[in-house]
Amino acid sequence: MLEAKHLHKSYTLKEKNGWLSRRKQQIKAVNDLSLTIEKGEIIGLLGVNGAGKTTTIKMLSTLLAPTSGTISIDGINAVKQPELIKRRVNMIAGGERMLYWRLSARENLMYFGRLYGLNGNTLKQRCRALIDKVGLTEFADRPVERYSKGMKQRLQIARGLINDPDYLFLDEPTLGLDAPVARQLRVLVKSLAKEKNKGILLTSHYLEEVEELCDHVSIIEKGHLLLQGTPRRIIQTIVKDRSLIVVMKTLDKENWHWLKQETDKLGIHAQKKETNEGTRVDMKATFDMTSSFLALAQKRNLQLIRFDAKKPNLEDAIIRLTEVHD
Amino acid sequence: MWIAFSATFKRQLITMRRAYPWSFFIGHILDGVYITIFAYLSYHFIFQGQLNTQFVSYTGTSDYLSYVIMGGVFNSFAVSLLMIVSRMLINEMREGTLEALLLTPSSRLGYFLGAAIQGLMRSGIEWLAIICVGLFFGLNLVAAHLALLLPIMIVLCFALFAQALVLGGFMLAFRDTYITQNTLFVIMTLVSGVSFPPQFLPDWIQGLSLIMPLYYGLELMRSVMTHAAPSSDILYHLLSLSTLGILYFAIGLLFMKRMEKSVLEKHFG
Amino acid sequence: MMKMLTICQAEMRKSHRHNFNNRLIYFSMFLWPIIQFINAYYAFKPFNLGQNSPLSRFVPVNKLGLFLITGCIAYIFFWSLVQSAWMMGYERQQGTLELILLTPASRTLIMFSRAAANLIEAVWMFSIFAILTIFFMGGLHIAHWWLLPFAVMVLLLSAVVWGGFLNTIFLFSRDAGFLYTLFEAPMEFFSGVRMPIMAFPIWAKVIAFVFPLTFVLTILRAIVMDGKTLGSICIPLIELAIILIALTAASFILVRYAEKHAKETGNLTFF
Ligand SMILES: Nc1ncnc2c1ncn2[C@@H]1O[C@H](COP(=O)(O)OP(=O)(O)OP(=O)(O)O)[C@@H](O)[C@H]1O
Ligand SMILES: [Mg+2]
Repeated sequence: MLEAKHLHKSYTLKEKNGWLSRRKQQIKAVNDLSLTIEKGEIIGLLGVNGAGKTTTIKMLSTLLAPTSGTISIDGINAVKQPELIKRRVNMIAGGERMLYWRLSARENLMYFGRLYGLNGNTLKQRCRALIDKVGLTEFADRPVERYSKGMKQRLQIARGLINDPDYLFLDEPTLGLDAPVARQLRVLVKSLAKEKNKGILLTSHYLEEVEELCDHVSIIEKGHLLLQGTPRRIIQTIVKDRSLIVVMKTLDKENWHWLKQETDKLGIHAQKKETNEGTRVDMKATFDMTSSFLALAQKRNLQLIRFDAKKPNLEDAIIRLTEVHD
Repeated sequence: MWIAFSATFKRQLITMRRAYPWSFFIGHILDGVYITIFAYLSYHFIFQGQLNTQFVSYTGTSDYLSYVIMGGVFNSFAVSLLMIVSRMLINEMREGTLEALLLTPSSRLGYFLGAAIQGLMRSGIEWLAIICVGLFFGLNLVAAHLALLLPIMIVLCFALFAQALVLGGFMLAFRDTYITQNTLFVIMTLVSGVSFPPQFLPDWIQGLSLIMPLYYGLELMRSVMTHAAPSSDILYHLLSLSTLGILYFAIGLLFMKRMEKSVLEKHFG
Repeated sequence: MMKMLTICQAEMRKSHRHNFNNRLIYFSMFLWPIIQFINAYYAFKPFNLGQNSPLSRFVPVNKLGLFLITGCIAYIFFWSLVQSAWMMGYERQQGTLELILLTPASRTLIMFSRAAANLIEAVWMFSIFAILTIFFMGGLHIAHWWLLPFAVMVLLLSAVVWGGFLNTIFLFSRDAGFLYTLFEAPMEFFSGVRMPIMAFPIWAKVIAFVFPLTFVLTILRAIVMDGKTLGSICIPLIELAIILIALTAASFILVRYAEKHAKETGNLTFF
């Protein structure tokens, strides 16, 4: 289990003002953040740009030392014994960095593998297996500079798995990938957690991805934890509003008055609009109003052309959250 | 440490084979060759072989051309080796691989040594090329203390390696390679006795030569390759060079460690 | 002409902004040349510099310092432009070069304006150093006072033409650093910056006459050191003029070609 407790990180920025004098400025990138990752679990870390996600990941992977707070991985203190931790974790960032462009995929993997102390046949086999796994077999001996973005990203994933880490941190791994490749990646991540029992921390700006993959989600803002829970729970607690859109061929005055009265009674806010499709009624409520509306419609035998019940998703939740806090 | 060493060595070898840094290569050779040609032209065509008596008393030889050509040869060698090692980490930073590297639990010393030994192959080729050119322009090699050649070369390489670590630390600190390295190199070329004995310089500048491994290296190499010097001098210079190397090495390692940390903090992305 | 001034102004503002932030210029255009000047001076020390020195066949021994500093200053003018052309490599990498070529401004004009704009920015510091040094060393010998501004104008004009030509060449090259190393030392070396070219053997003289800097230096030194009049230096002046015209023409043709090439292969962004 990975446990991070009360992490703080502040960067010191030195700004020149004038010729010699410098002003120091503290930026709190992470502020009292606590996290746990169990093996076999995928945790999502969400937040707007600059919320402190990358900083958190760098601290967990021992690249950055926290200003204060503790990180322990399977009982080992990550701040005090980074060498031990480095063997058990790895990090993958989106984009095309973190690879040697002049080397081929295989050479990259061999190089990093050796730096993890692997050698000989074990290393060769692992490299081959990883290359197959990410589907680069054909291009394994081509220099990386001639790879496409998606291929580089896949190679990055292979690099991140070279030491067979127990915990894997993914910083926007699907950045700039096309839909099928992103889809493959998600399948891979899921299988790593569920079949290989790795603990995974994932940041992403694609919320459907997070919703689909993550068992738990932490939302941070300005380095501070706002909310933690399963995606469903978060949506339920934040997005109270649900909406229902119905279009009917005709809706006469009398029926509309009746409908308005009935919905008001139930606590549904309804509005009528004439469109070229027919008459449209938009309804909003804090609960699922599908069944109650259908019952009403049946009573008066209303003819429905269209019936849209919109389910709120994580995106609505995040937008709502940040709106509240701004 | 061994694995990190050999892995880095191999990686650099592949990189070199795939994209040989020709402009550095040619640049270093040309630098040496120009010093040679300059000496040759001035000696024969301007001064008709007439030297200053002070030169002979400072250097213990009247073979001006061998003196300067050796200067050019080893100046290029030093510049080349210093550049290769010192630019390693900052190049990783620029290429975006620094984080991936620091994520691994590998030995940093092994990494640098791998780069240095591989770099030595490159510098060695350049070195040979300049010596060959030098032979045409009047370099006279005499084997004075041949047995000492290898130990001296090893100590010199070590001292330059150590100096490169310190230089690399400064590069990371200033987030710059070009200015930092060239400022060192112009000063080094001036004070290390490359094309004239440093005794000609004013005292306060001359003092700088004492912290340049190249200065001792040149004294030593000249005294085993071009003219015999008393063994007491050789011993003294060898000792100074080793001490300087160890000093640089200790400072360099500490400095690098510190800079690594601060680079990760200050480096966005 | 007005166009050139506007572009020049724009370039100047840009390079000022750029260089002000990066300290490169203080080092490469001021500190390093001074140290190299000192190095060049001391490199003569091992030789016989007494009364009977063979050097005095070409340069009076007591004017060696003046000889070197005039060489250095002219060299800096030319060298700064090699460097600014080298910076094109960065513009190419950042893709701003392509943006420049997107504008309707005349390409050749841009190349020359760029050179002119960067020149002033780069050389003023070393110029001050050189003037002070000359002032303290003494030994100037000028026939008419107006020949001094004339010499400066010749220096400026030829440097700009040279720089425009280099900018054009660097438009092509993928590894501009290579050209940089190729140009750096030979120019210093064979143009007579540190040595009187009259002393060179034939093969070295032939190389010397490739660089316009050689002629500029001949003219500059004739004016400030030997007190020659305009009449007696007209031959090198004509030679210089021919070279400058040839370089300008070559730049025009090359720019055309470079742009055509870039349009076909898209290699401006290929780095
Ligand atoms: N090296 C640094 N020095 C100073 N401040 C930094 C540094 N790195 C990040 N910051 C600041 O810390 C805060 C958090 O940055 P971080 O990169 O962790 O955000 P993020 O959540 O990953 O954002 P994004 O979604 O854009 O990747 C930001 O305000 C950023 O400006
Ligand atoms: Mg980030």
